[in-house]
Amino acid sequence: MSARAEDDVRLRALMVRYQAGEMAAFDEIYARVTPPVRRFLASRVRDASRVDDLAQETFLQMHRARHTYDPADPLMPLAIAIARHVWLMRLRADSRRPLAVEPIEELPIGVRADAESYADREQVRDALLALPPARRRALLWHHHWGLSFREIAARMGIRETAAKLRSSRGVAQLRSLLGNDGPDVPPRRKTSDD
Amino acid sequence: MTDSSHLAPAGLRSAIARYLSPVRALRPPLVRSMALLPIGLVLLVAAPVVFSFRDLETLGWPLAWGASALQIAIGMLLIAAALREAVPGRAWSPVALTGLFASPLALVIAVTLASWSASPVALPRLWWTIGGICFAGSFISAIPAVALAAVLALRAYPTRPAVAGGLAGLGAGLMADAGWRLFCHYSEPAHVLTAHLAGVLVPAVLGALATARVRRNAERRTLSSSL
Repeated sequence: MSARAEDDVRLRALMVRYQAGEMAAFDEIYARVTPPVRRFLASRVRDASRVDDLAQETFLQMHRARHTYDPADPLMPLAIAIARHVWLMRLRADSRRPLAVEPIEELPIGVRADAESYADREQVRDALLALPPARRRALLWHHHWGLSFREIAARMGIRETAAKLRSSRGVAQLRSLLGNDGPDVPPRRKTSDD
Repeated sequence: MTDSSHLAPAGLRSAIARYLSPVRALRPPLVRSMALLPIGLVLLVAAPVVFSFRDLETLGWPLAWGASALQIAIGMLLIAAALREAVPGRAWSPVALTGLFASPLALVIAVTLASWSASPVALPRLWWTIGGICFAGSFISAIPAVALAAVLALRAYPTRPAVAGGLAGLGAGLMADAGWRLFCHYSEPAHVLTAHLAGVLVPAVLGALATARVRRNAERRTLSSSL
C-alpha cells in the first residue's frame, strides 16, 4: 500500500473517532489536514494571516459538517470542499460589506476644526467606540464618509429606513455620551441623495 | 501521537472541545431519499383515485401506471442525487448535473409523445383554465415533497444549496406529476409540455430558492458570529 493510501485509511479511521467525540482524533486530523487546506487557501488568498483565519474557519465548519462524513469516502475532498466554501463565503461577505470588518481604530474620525485638540479627539473616539457597532458603522458611513442611506442599506443588507434609524440613534447616543458641551458630529458630506 | 507544535490554536480547540458530542453519520443519500417513498406513493395514487382515471384502457398499463411509476423512481433518484450534492466533497460535476437536470425533461417529453400517439385526446376549449388546473394541482401537490427533500438536504451541509434544492425540487415535481398525469384526460403535447412540465419545473425553482435562502441566512448568522 502506498504512503498516500495509508494516509487516507488513517484519516478515515480518525474521522470515525472524531465523529464519536474524541478530541485526540481531531488533533491528529488537524495536524494532517492543515497543510493541504492551507496550500489550497494560499493559492487563492495572498495574505498569510487571512489564510490562517480561513483555515481555522474551515475546521470550525468541518466540525459542524462532521456528521455528513461517510467512512466509505476519503476525507480530503470533504475538507477541501469546505475550505473552498469558506473562502467563497468570506468573499461574498466582503463584497457585501467591504468596510464592515475594518477595525475602528483604523478609521479616520473627523472632528470639527474648532474641536481639534487631542483631548477632544480622544473624547470623540471613546464615545464612538462605546456605540454599538451597527450604529457606529451607519453613523460614520453617512456622516463622515458621505455614503447615502441607500448605499449603507445595501452594504449592511438592511432596509434604507433601518439604516437611517441606526445612524440617527447613533448620533443621539453619541451626543448623550459626549454631553451637551461636547463636540458635535461633523456635518455630513453631500451625497447623491441630496 | 500528535506533536504539540501541530495542535490547533487554543481558541479553535476550545470551540471544538465545547461542542464535541458524538454524532451519528448520515446514512447514504439513496437510503435517506426513501423517506419520501410514502409521499411518492400517495402522489402516485391520490389524484387518479380521488378524482378519476384517464382513458386507462386505451393507454394500456405500461403507459399509464408503468410510466408514472418510472417518474416516481426517477424523482426519488433525483432527490437522492440532491442529498449527495448536499454532502461536501460529493458535489456533481457540471456534465453530471446537466444530465441530471435534462433526464426528467427527456422522460416527460418521451412519455407525452408516447401517450399522444397511443391515445390522442386534444383540448376542446378552455385550455388556459384546464392548463391552470393541471399546473396548480401538480405544483401544490409537490410542495410537501419539496419541503421534506429540502429539509433533508439542509440537514447535510450543502455548499451549493441552490443546486441541491433545485435537484430536490425537480425530483419532487416529477413525483407529483406522476399521479397528476393519470388524472388529466388530455394528452395533447401542447397542454402537457406547458402546464404539466411547468408543474415539474416550478417546484425545482421553488426548491432552489428556498434552500438557498435558508442556507444563506444560516451562513450569515454563522459568519456574523465569527466576525
